[in-house]
Amino acid sequence: MIQVRSLVKRYGDLLALDHFDLNVQKGEIFGLLGPNGSGKTTAINCMLSLLKYGKGEVHLFGEPMSSDNYALKRRIGVVMQNVAVFNELTVIENIDYFCGLYVPDKAKRRQLVDEAVEFTGLGDFRKFLPKKLSGGLLRRLNIACGIAHKPELIFLDEPTVAVDPQSRNHILEGIRELNRNGATIVYTSHYMEEVEQLCTRIMIMSGGKAVATGTKEELKAMIRTGEKMTAEIYDLPANVLKEIQKLDGTFSADYTDNLLTVRYTAGSHALIPVLDILRRNNVGVGRVFSEPPTLNDVFLEITGKELKD
Amino acid sequence: MFWNIYGKRVIAGIRDKETMIWTWIFPIMLATLFYFAFAGLDAAGMLKVIPMGVVDNEQYRQDASFVSALESVSTGEDRLFDLRYFPDVNGADAALESGEIDGYIIAGGALSLIVKSDGLNQTIAKSFLDSYLQTKNSVEAVITRDLSQLGNLEELLSRVNYTEKISLSDNPVSAKIGYFYSMLAMICMYGCFQGLVSVSYLQANISALGARRTMSPVGRFRMVTYDLLGGMTVHYLSLLFCVAYIIFVLGIDFGSKLGMVLLTCFVGSVLGVAFGAMVSVNPKIKEQAKTAILITVNMICVFLSGLMIGNMNYIVMQNVPIAAWLNPASRIVDAFYCLYYYDNYERFFLNIGIISAMTVVLLVITSFFIGRQRYESI
Repeated sequence: MIQVRSLVKRYGDLLALDHFDLNVQKGEIFGLLGPNGSGKTTAINCMLSLLKYGKGEVHLFGEPMSSDNYALKRRIGVVMQNVAVFNELTVIENIDYFCGLYVPDKAKRRQLVDEAVEFTGLGDFRKFLPKKLSGGLLRRLNIACGIAHKPELIFLDEPTVAVDPQSRNHILEGIRELNRNGATIVYTSHYMEEVEQLCTRIMIMSGGKAVATGTKEELKAMIRTGEKMTAEIYDLPANVLKEIQKLDGTFSADYTDNLLTVRYTAGSHALIPVLDILRRNNVGVGRVFSEPPTLNDVFLEITGKELKD
Repeated sequence: MFWNIYGKRVIAGIRDKETMIWTWIFPIMLATLFYFAFAGLDAAGMLKVIPMGVVDNEQYRQDASFVSALESVSTGEDRLFDLRYFPDVNGADAALESGEIDGYIIAGGALSLIVKSDGLNQTIAKSFLDSYLQTKNSVEAVITRDLSQLGNLEELLSRVNYTEKISLSDNPVSAKIGYFYSMLAMICMYGCFQGLVSVSYLQANISALGARRTMSPVGRFRMVTYDLLGGMTVHYLSLLFCVAYIIFVLGIDFGSKLGMVLLTCFVGSVLGVAFGAMVSVNPKIKEQAKTAILITVNMICVFLSGLMIGNMNYIVMQNVPIAAWLNPASRIVDAFYCLYYYDNYERFFLNIGIISAMTVVLLVITSFFIGRQRYESI
């Protein structure tokens, strides 16, 4: 469905995309995950020929993509990161406008617009102007405008930024439904939980490069860290911390802000030995949490930076 | 496709608050202001009848020729003097002092004009008296020196006009109408903001909406054409509304060629929109800077066309004629003037031709650049 080969994009001296490669198969929900500035939006804008790029090739549906390839554009839906609607048109007029750019037939369009309104749950707000909508509803309108014409390939660029949890769940469920209905989806976000929950395959981006690609299980298997334990401790003597660090199966252990964080190597479970050491040394322990590795751990180990930054 | 883009653009344009304020409400307020501010302007240009006193003494009554001359210019609708007779000098002095009359004539040894102050009315009265005395002296000289020249006396007394006053149209001369024409020209030029919106909403680096529309399967040229047509429609509707208000509410008479007035508004409106589109087509200039450029250029154009100083367009035409010919606002104002004052359409269509040519040039430049725009960054 999408083949990108060695895409290079510069903003002056800044290398925004560094020989970026991408393959997306039909029917996937493909996630582009990375912190702000990692190149996700630039990659999408280049794929859609909105931006000029220095080198590389972009093929969509097996055809080279260009800014005047209207036949290809007709098969694509785009939901931009920034809400792109007319402030002076109502919800229904906005959806009809964007749908009308793809579907000239008025009767067919009316049906598609009604379906998009129902799909995004905007039925009660048909006559509302965008300024009267909450942030979440506005995002839903943005999505409705991008998908009303039932495209085969949909680019969703951070569609849940600044959205309340209720709207977010509604949006994510809607994306799954679009996919179930046959659309291939490219989804960008810097919310790892969202990407992990939604996407069938994920590409982690950093500094304009793809640093890892695979299913979430494949990505987690790429790193040496496994489960992570966090314990609230009022005072931890340095010798006790050293003892924990030397424990078999411990990948790393550190103590900051009254929190002891211990990462185990993949496949290890050292919770009981750590608690034993703390009890033996009469160290008072508050709440204890244990969690499996996340995509943030994957990103941290590969890039040395937190994904959340 | 056309009706979708065009129709929604018209709806959006009409609902836009800034458009509503600047092209619907502001012109109405300005026209109303002009109406009250220039209410007495046309009347101020007319000469009023001069209140003039005459001391009705024995000498005056015996000077039959002067009595006849004075009465001849003091009767009828376009009379020069409104005569008031006083039996003696004291009464005339009192009337002069109170401002009831601008001066009085007294026949003593000679005819004298007594005034209290200098002014236009006093100057006119003195000119009349001087003219009468000069003619009287000439006649007396002819009679006393050479009676054979008596036959030429008629020629001496008659005044020949070597020029003939011809009215170019049936419309009365009006000073205030020029201000309304300049105001309409200004509103025409305000169409530039519609052009700005149409082009900015199609530039990916200016607005998210521009980026979104650029990704749609409609060619940029097609999109901008339909959109500009929508912007022109919105703007022309605002002009029609303003013209209707000026004619039907304020009662200003634009003459008998209303259809041509509306044509001028249309052509001027299209020029305004095209101008805005051309300025907005450069993606490297920020929207605020484009707005500032449009406002500045508009203000200069309408100032030079006479919105603030009535005869400014004539001053420019006399001193820098090329600037007057290339100033779109001046061409629009001149087209309106032609319709009001001229019976033939020669100069009117010259103006319409120039405005149309400017519009074509602006639209060609716009389409040339908009079709080639690709973005390095957004």
